[in-house]
Amino acid sequence: MSRAFTLSRIRPRPGPQGGLTWALIILVGFLTVCPVVMLVLGSFSTGLEAFGSLTLAKYIEAYTDPALAAIILNTVVFTVGSAAVATVLALFLAFLNTRTNIPFKSLFGIISIIPMMIPHILFCVSWALLLNPSNGLFNLLLRELGLSGAAVNIYSMPGMILVEGLLDLPIAYLILAPAMSAFDVSLEESSKVCGASNLRTLARVTLPVLRPAILAAFILVIVRSLASFAVPAVLGMPGRIYVLASHIYRIIATGFAADYGQAAAVGMSALSASIVLIVIYRRLTAAGEKFVTVTSRGYRPAVIDLKGARLPLCGCVGLISFVLIVLPVAVLFYVSLLPYSMVPSAKALGFMSWKNWLSVIRDPVSFLALKNSVVLGIGGASLGVVLSIFVAYIIVKVRTRAAGVLESLSFLSFSFPGIVIGVGFMWFFVLTPLYATIWALLIGYIATYLPYGIRPLTSAFVQIHSHLEESSRVCGAGTLLTLRRVVIPLLVPGIVSGWILMATMFVRELTLSVVLSRPGTEVIAVQILRYAEDGLWGRLSALGIIMIIISTALVAVASFIGRKFALTERG
Amino acid sequence: MKRLAAILVIVLTGTLASAADPALLEKARAEKKAAFYANITAVEPILEAFGKAYGVSAEYTRVSTNKFVATVLTEHQAGKLLADVVQAPLPILDILKEKGVLASYRPAAMAGYPAWAARDEKIQLFGIEYVAPIYNKDLVKPADVPRKYEDLADPKWRGKIVMADPSTHATTISWLIGLKEKVFPSEEAWMAFVKGLAANQPMFVNSFGPTPAPVESGEKLIAISMPKYIITKAPAPLDWARVAQPLLGTPRAMALTAAAPHPHAARLFIDYWLSKEAMKIMAEKVGEYVLAPGVFPPIDGMDKARVEPIRELSDDEIRRWGGEFKKIFATP
Repeated sequence: MSRAFTLSRIRPRPGPQGGLTWALIILVGFLTVCPVVMLVLGSFSTGLEAFGSLTLAKYIEAYTDPALAAIILNTVVFTVGSAAVATVLALFLAFLNTRTNIPFKSLFGIISIIPMMIPHILFCVSWALLLNPSNGLFNLLLRELGLSGAAVNIYSMPGMILVEGLLDLPIAYLILAPAMSAFDVSLEESSKVCGASNLRTLARVTLPVLRPAILAAFILVIVRSLASFAVPAVLGMPGRIYVLASHIYRIIATGFAADYGQAAAVGMSALSASIVLIVIYRRLTAAGEKFVTVTSRGYRPAVIDLKGARLPLCGCVGLISFVLIVLPVAVLFYVSLLPYSMVPSAKALGFMSWKNWLSVIRDPVSFLALKNSVVLGIGGASLGVVLSIFVAYIIVKVRTRAAGVLESLSFLSFSFPGIVIGVGFMWFFVLTPLYATIWALLIGYIATYLPYGIRPLTSAFVQIHSHLEESSRVCGAGTLLTLRRVVIPLLVPGIVSGWILMATMFVRELTLSVVLSRPGTEVIAVQILRYAEDGLWGRLSALGIIMIIISTALVAVASFIGRKFALTERG
Repeated sequence: MKRLAAILVIVLTGTLASAADPALLEKARAEKKAAFYANITAVEPILEAFGKAYGVSAEYTRVSTNKFVATVLTEHQAGKLLADVVQAPLPILDILKEKGVLASYRPAAMAGYPAWAARDEKIQLFGIEYVAPIYNKDLVKPADVPRKYEDLADPKWRGKIVMADPSTHATTISWLIGLKEKVFPSEEAWMAFVKGLAANQPMFVNSFGPTPAPVESGEKLIAISMPKYIITKAPAPLDWARVAQPLLGTPRAMALTAAAPHPHAARLFIDYWLSKEAMKIMAEKVGEYVLAPGVFPPIDGMDKARVEPIRELSDDEIRRWGGEFKKIFATP
């Protein structure tokens, strides 16, 4: 290998793309590195703040804890299990939705996004109401039927994996669906011409070609579940199953002067694990050309006729949607009508009223919080997606080592456990004039959840052949014009996915909000936390449903605009 | 009736406004607001009443207990502490005092409070975050209700208790240590109780907030929790076990900050907060146990209960005991 070749891999390409790469590295780096640097400083400092004299004591204490090995093992099982559940389910739903003639397609989009809109803590509580071993509704039903031996205990590792997998399903779905819908039919047709069945074609052609998207989904869910706290807290703690996030919580919660530096020291292992995963992902998808499916020739996704399997599969999806949407949302609605937690009964019926709804709506802070959350959701997601388009373009199309750096940077804040990264942002923002303003929230949201925009867009970019851009350049168009006229129209499904993931995330964002929000910049999540801390599940559920309605409206508008835009560009 | 109440409020607040030092009031009005950091439920009626009485608004930022020290210290060190008044469990204010965050202020409104409530020249104590066994009165027969703490270790409660995780939750750890020091006759008797409680395999949650829900729904029968939920979660079938021994809890403290952006409004706010009227709102609406003389939460029997503050435990002590409880309760 020549020396010149090696150098060219490290340095960004000269010219406009090289400049863009560096500009993005600086911007994304600034957004994501600052809070992490503060946490690194905190983890090496004595005392409780980011700046203190240097010490290794926090690392030594954190990593010599004899309980850590068991916690890491639990964490691996929990995150890989959740990623498997989410990815397999998302593949199944995305395939049926984009590639087959299954009825009620419009339902799919909704099913797969709903868990993204429900505050995770509420989703967990509603599952505990259904499946707790003492009086979970489902277990009571089993007892009535004389099947108490079959009772399900949600406070267990399989329970945690199931719920986390369902909660992270939207991430996997929104990455896989655009990739599936941009699939080139000719590959599958060739397979069928050679005599392969639908199933064999799926296993030998479709899935291997989708490898970057599947891996992206799998890895993103692992990283997300590593940072997730709701499931470990609400379902893990009662079952005494501790993972990294709940271990970090224990460090912070024990005592009154929470040592976030030590929590950050433990968090560094989550960060390193995420970086390793990103590197593996890049290795596995290095030969980008293999996965290109949209060339300039005959791009049209094909529809597979399910024939006899149409109805059974539809029933299957019906069951999934029942479990995913109807059950938890029904439980939420039921809880929102009650003055306190009670099992359904005539007495419960007598107690039902709109009291919780009224007190939520009449709370003066609620209105301001709703307004701020909607503004942050729309504004933040729009800015975030624009940034993500550029970043994804560099990651996929430039593929220098600098692009690799950019990709890893985009994951920095995201892969830190939420409880800790909020404090990292606080330590950073307090040094700037943005502290205690809505801008701090906006920037923090975008910086932390950038992968939600970048992932769907990279998996969409991967499939667009560079011939298309080259043709555009040959015709005299510059980089920006090529992006706008050629690339972006093909990216619409990815853009819509990224926007939806970001907007719904921002509307329910909790971890940064509780640290950065101040009077005047309250957001819904802060209200949610107030209710949760006071154990007011009725009001919490009412506000949760309002949150779902707002997110549904945002998703509907985004999908509508996306469809309209795609039609105009094609037509 | 409502009108009468409104007139009463106006008369009362009018009296209060006139009772405040006119020079302080004038300066406070010029500052317009007092910013207040705390983690306390439903205190909005007190803030509203304060605004109406003095024409100065009280701006409340709720900061979770486990982020309190981090948030206040970060802002303080950057010279950007937005709070004029801070309210938190006593150990937190002690940490802040040590770091130079607090200012001296001896409010006149403390007259009549127990002598120990005026802790020092900076920190005032106004309430106790009291802990008691709370049970589901629909499902627990009166004869079965615990009459002393030792009853919680009775094997009949196996799998039927919910509590905050005793290896991490500072208030629960302090409560268990309080029992050792103030209630049990000997360390052996106390240890037998703790081991008996552990053998009953209580379900753990991360704080007091999630403890009442499983008892309301019947998932569990008893919670080691706070009696104030009997008020805030009414009409839930909750009652407190009237144990023969005293109830214990960590003191709730408040203080003025040294670099308060609105120092006069802050003093006015502290004076009002400690007044009998404000404390009455807190006891009646939120079920808090307050130290203002003669004010009790409207919970049956609470006016006769002995409620005592727990000795302040250092974080090292809390972590050490958390580690011990982790072993005793056999959590990984």
